[in-house]
Amino acid sequence: MEKGKISSLQMAMILYPAVVATAILLVPSLTAQYAKQDLWISPMLASIVGFVTIFIAVRLHQLYPGKNIFQIIEETIGRLPGKLAGLLILFFYIEITGEMTRGYGSFIVNTFLKQTPLVVTIASMVFLCAFAVYGGIEVLARAAQFFFPLFFIPFLFLVLLLSPYFQVHYIEPVLADGWVPVIKGAVVPSGWFAELFLIVFFLPYLTDKGKAMKYGILTVAGIGITLVTANLTALFVLGPTLPTKVYALMNASHYISYADFFENLESVTMAIWIIGAFVKISAFYYVIVLGIAQWLNLSDYRPLIWPIGILIVEFGYWSLPSSIELARFESRIFPFYSLLMQTTLLIIIFVIASVRKKGRKKLGLSE
Amino acid sequence: MKKLLLLLSFSGALFLLGGCWDRTEINDLAIATSAAIDQKENDQIELSLEIFLPKAFGGGSAQGGQAGGQGITLVISQTGSNMADALSKLQGVLPREIFWGHCKTFVFSEAVAKKGIIDHLDFLLRQPDIRERAYIFVSEKKARRILEQKTNLEPYTGQALLEQTDFGIGMRVTMQELDEMLVSRMQSAALPYLKIKTQKKSEEEKFRFADISGVAVFRKDKMIGRLSEERTRGLLWLRDEIKGYTVSASPPGVNGVVSVNPVSVYSKMTPSIVDGKWRILLTIKTDGVIVQNSTPLDFFNPTSLASVEAALQDSIETRVRESLEKTQHQMKADVANFAAEFYREYPEEWKQVENHWPEKLSEVEVEVDARMIIRSQGNLILPANEKEGGEQW
Repeated sequence: MEKGKISSLQMAMILYPAVVATAILLVPSLTAQYAKQDLWISPMLASIVGFVTIFIAVRLHQLYPGKNIFQIIEETIGRLPGKLAGLLILFFYIEITGEMTRGYGSFIVNTFLKQTPLVVTIASMVFLCAFAVYGGIEVLARAAQFFFPLFFIPFLFLVLLLSPYFQVHYIEPVLADGWVPVIKGAVVPSGWFAELFLIVFFLPYLTDKGKAMKYGILTVAGIGITLVTANLTALFVLGPTLPTKVYALMNASHYISYADFFENLESVTMAIWIIGAFVKISAFYYVIVLGIAQWLNLSDYRPLIWPIGILIVEFGYWSLPSSIELARFESRIFPFYSLLMQTTLLIIIFVIASVRKKGRKKLGLSE
Repeated sequence: MKKLLLLLSFSGALFLLGGCWDRTEINDLAIATSAAIDQKENDQIELSLEIFLPKAFGGGSAQGGQAGGQGITLVISQTGSNMADALSKLQGVLPREIFWGHCKTFVFSEAVAKKGIIDHLDFLLRQPDIRERAYIFVSEKKARRILEQKTNLEPYTGQALLEQTDFGIGMRVTMQELDEMLVSRMQSAALPYLKIKTQKKSEEEKFRFADISGVAVFRKDKMIGRLSEERTRGLLWLRDEIKGYTVSASPPGVNGVVSVNPVSVYSKMTPSIVDGKWRILLTIKTDGVIVQNSTPLDFFNPTSLASVEAALQDSIETRVRESLEKTQHQMKADVANFAAEFYREYPEEWKQVENHWPEKLSEVEVEVDARMIIRSQGNLILPANEKEGGEQW
């Protein structure tokens, strides 16, 4: 079905923006609402979820080499329950991809194109992503590879340009209220780390499977460092006002001003966000159509692209009434939903699979 | 056939490139450069905007006298029940869309400041296109009048205030900083205070201008009083914001004054709680350059240098103490942000006084350790007025 092959590094370059793109804009203030000045510790705790997800996904793939996730699920828990679990995963992905495009669309509409109808921003992004998905995994990987520096370097520049405005003393006192607020704050970013579940769809198409674990772990570390940096940048610039902002880094970038003319750099933040959102939505979109094709044993996933695209737009447009509701979804529902449907599910499958494999070995049965 | 379709779809995309709903041409914009908020009767407010006149600017050089003062900007006002209401009425009388991207000065009148500014700030912070870097001021009388003042060097008042503030003699507070002050534990704020001053140009012609004189002090979001210019300097030493301002002192036992320009200032607050006594140790380290010496002191003599340094240190300490006396004890406003210092070092103890911080604040003992080091004496080795000891040529 998918004949393309990508390298582990390319996979890492798809996964990194797929998690970070939405996280750097929303996570700082959502985390700050709980953890306050300790918000930089939260992503470190949350990254445990990422490490667990990557580790289990790669191990699972080693237990069942060459099989896709739906085949693995069906082998471990049986055909019918397996199909049902697969349906749940796919439904989850369609829904959150819808919400993701909604997040993208409402960011654009709220901050820049105020007169533009929301559906136009959502539909044009999905339309663009559809082309990338149509190209298959290799095109997706190449696009991610091309956009990675365009995503990463402006982010670094943003942090660098903001550094003269840093008020480092905002970080103190460390852990004034103990660990509980920090752990509460970690729940939000852990929902984003759970999205690394995407790796299970890419693993079968790697040319260098031996490096998958290494690059997976590197991706988690990279995401962790980026989120800590984003959180600290927002904290150092905005201080106690951070929890009140919707897009904290956006507000922080308003603050850049050099020599009275090098200012108003929010367009850079917007560019980072759009590039990241493109890679992110494309990756999820690809996983959905590939997943459905695998789940239904179709010979090609391409005919699914347009109908699924319409579904994503529908979910993006209709599932939430307002951007207030969207923010509530992102902070209160998404983390648990995401953890449940991705990491928790993966752990359950892995436990069952390893018990079964061991049981078979004990009985001396061959595969 | 396929090529033709491709070509058609590409040409179709061209129509999208022009942008769609949100295209704005520069000649559809009314660029606001400063805004003023005044209190009206029946809880109404008046919002005044200084709008940039592009025509006046373009023809400025040819018509000479046109530029400067009101020539380049226009001030318009509307009354409304709140900022949003007044703004929509303002938009109603303007043929162009108001653009906030260049609005870098906001002036609240004292009457508004006394009623509380947080509701107005909510509007300003909520709009994505209003700059968090804009400077905020409080004006003595009507804020609109500040915008109407003529300027000489700068094209309009908003710009003049900006440049003057950047100079660092008075306090500088951006919208973001004001927001930080209001949500942080200090529960108070300080904003630069504007007065309109008059100076005689000639016998009959008078020149009025907006002058930054001192700060307005806020408890929560309500103005409760103000500090004189001298006391503002003390506050700036406390907040480590002093810049480009000359300190003068006369050493004991000699006639005349030595003036020093601070080159670099570093001040730091160290909180301590010993036996339930809350203390702040304020360390101020200043490196300075002598700019004027009207005493007969010769600075090659280390003792006279030390006596000058000591006198300057005392003068800084007095400034700081005077300003603390007023803010900490009389107004009970924590404008120096002791709260953050204590919270940082003593989060547990802080939680116990959190609810009655203004009362606790006046009990905090402040120790000032000012240190002045003179790094250079300019181009003169000996004082210009030296009489005794020096040989006559």
